[in-house]
Amino acid sequence: MSRVRGFWALVLALLRELGDENAYRRHLAAHGRAHSRREWQKFSDQRLLARFVRPRCC
Amino acid sequence: MRRILGHVLWAAVAILAAYALAGIALKRGEPINSIWLVVAAACTYLLGFRFYAKFIAARVMALNNERATPAERLRNGHDFEPTNKWILFGHHFAAIAGPGPLVGPVLAAQFGYLPGTLWIIIGAVLGGCVQDFVILFASMRRDGKSLGKMAREEIGKLGGLIALVTVLLIIIILLAVIALVVVNALKGSPWGTFTIAATMPIAIFMGLYLRYWRPGKVLEVSLIGFGLVLLAILGGEWVAKSPSLAPLFTLSGVALAVSVIVYGFFASALPVWLLLAPRDYLSTFVKLGVVLMLAIGIVLVRPTMNLPAFTRFVDGTGPIFAGTIFPFCFITIACGAISGFHSLISSGTTPKMIAREWHAWPVGYGSMALESFVAIMAMIAACALQPGVYFAVNSPAGVVGATPEAAAATISAWGFPVTPADMETLARDVGEQTLFYRTGGAPSLALGMAHIFASGGGRALLGFWYHFAIMFEALFILTIIDAGTRVGRFMLQDLLGHIHKPLGRTSWIPGVIATSAVIVLAWGYFLYQGVVDPLGGINSLWPLFGIANQLLAAVALCVATTILIKMHRARYMWITCIPLAWLVTVTFTAGYQKIFSPAPRIGFLAQAAQLQSRLDAGTAANIADTQALIFNARLDAAVCAIFLVLVLTILVDSIRVWTGILRGKREARMLEAPFVATRLRAEEI
Repeated sequence: MSRVRGFWALVLALLRELGDENAYRRHLAAHGRAHSRREWQKFSDQRLLARFVRPRCC
Repeated sequence: MRRILGHVLWAAVAILAAYALAGIALKRGEPINSIWLVVAAACTYLLGFRFYAKFIAARVMALNNERATPAERLRNGHDFEPTNKWILFGHHFAAIAGPGPLVGPVLAAQFGYLPGTLWIIIGAVLGGCVQDFVILFASMRRDGKSLGKMAREEIGKLGGLIALVTVLLIIIILLAVIALVVVNALKGSPWGTFTIAATMPIAIFMGLYLRYWRPGKVLEVSLIGFGLVLLAILGGEWVAKSPSLAPLFTLSGVALAVSVIVYGFFASALPVWLLLAPRDYLSTFVKLGVVLMLAIGIVLVRPTMNLPAFTRFVDGTGPIFAGTIFPFCFITIACGAISGFHSLISSGTTPKMIAREWHAWPVGYGSMALESFVAIMAMIAACALQPGVYFAVNSPAGVVGATPEAAAATISAWGFPVTPADMETLARDVGEQTLFYRTGGAPSLALGMAHIFASGGGRALLGFWYHFAIMFEALFILTIIDAGTRVGRFMLQDLLGHIHKPLGRTSWIPGVIATSAVIVLAWGYFLYQGVVDPLGGINSLWPLFGIANQLLAAVALCVATTILIKMHRARYMWITCIPLAWLVTVTFTAGYQKIFSPAPRIGFLAQAAQLQSRLDAGTAANIADTQALIFNARLDAAVCAIFLVLVLTILVDSIRVWTGILRGKREARMLEAPFVATRLRAEEI
């Protein structure tokens, strides 16, 4: 049972990584800030700017 | 005891791989079950991963878990962050998985299932996985530097410039060819067109939701978006049956091409958060989910491979694209076996997230093996179709005949029986007006996937699953188109900034509009050319894309070989030199044939000469159209020649560097970041 739980936790963590939710948590922790709409927008703008200058795979 | 058990287990895997490979390679006369392909591929990847990749990791690269990675040394909470290896594996796989491994094998199935399958398996184990792994390692040891930067630093300024120009040209051809795949999939299909059109307001809704209403809730909004997309698929059926709405969404190829071009321009100029990012999140989740569903479906259904091991088209007369197995099978399937584009991902985000050096082993080599397995699944989905249906869907009218009766007669005469009535029934089952001439690979892949997904629920669900598969393919192709246009714009601005400084500023609106327009018009031109091509467009554009992609892989392998030599690992340079030599042979042969072959369906110049002779003889149906086709054929020949010259230059430059170092005339200066001992604790990752 604990293995199933562990696997599920890993899947969720992967989805959160792909969805930038983990990166946002790291951003809040690194800068010691609380979650807010403005903070998300700031984080998201920086993150997306960096992401969409790199070519996409075919 | 455990060691002996391990040896026995790996020996069993090796025997199973050999048995399955022999089964698929030697069995003739009766259809085989697809599970043989699954077993052969899975066992070979496991062996390659356990023995070959581990040898490269331990002996050639000397990976060292005591050495701090850039993720630890440069940790900033954004790009540089030590990440759990399985999460990074999924992240990297999601980044390298695109439409290439799905479409390429479907097109190459015209030779039969065997050539493509063997190339996918062997090419990945000895070529693609190695390229991804070595480039990931090289970038990781150089603080996550990009392929272009490594080419400039390791080979020379010329190498860096060539890498940049090659990538820009490849992006243009890539965007044109994948846009053509979408256009051909949606042509005359109100159900499909409505579903894809609906994904745009859905994405905008998701963008607003994420920006203003529930900031940061990406998984939540993606789940809502997925629910809305499923509703759009169901709504599409209703639209297709509505006499007033169906005509609005029944578009010709040219109308769809113009729509995609206009869309590409606006999507690249709009704020990223509004349309691009939400759809990117959604398409990533859908992509992973569908790949998993397809794997489960194939294992449960175990479809029969109805296409033979070899077809008569090994002689080069194939209707989907012209050319013999060598070299065309090897450039048609790029991403499933070896893809230059992966080297850009392996030197992008991933090296900045590796926590321990040995994690590069599963992430670099393992992710590519999984991508290759996706290509095997696409091959199975295509070959599970009846051969007559497969060729009726994928062959252009210019080759098989302009009416369903003529096409069915031509295909049946090839030994693949099909009737217009069969095709009409199938089209009705999936909610389409016709399935003839649906070139590009996406519709036949969707048909194969729908057959697998619907096998539990009967034919009633065939229409839903077909359009689900089309939505899945179009969704992430459109994401690549708008993201690619944006990237192309940035690269062009980077180049033009050296000529006129304001053009290099990404905040200068006239510059943004002008460079966006140039990129969109560049790929839009090739797209339009493909749409109006009487041979279906894929015949010209897909080989061009394949050549370009494999040439980029050659550039990456040149960089990798240079780095191995500088690491004093010259005795192991065969690891990268064997795939490099193969790619150079394949791409230069294919490139030469595409330019100079006397057969008009293969050689661009022969095609132009044939059309010119029709013009001269006064037998051309339309003078302006024929002149445009002649220009297009000559343009394709010129683009192909430019690719070959660029890569020949970097190859010669690399060989000059290698021989200089090996003869002791040039310093083998290592540009790795200095060794720093890791302080990362296991619980931190």
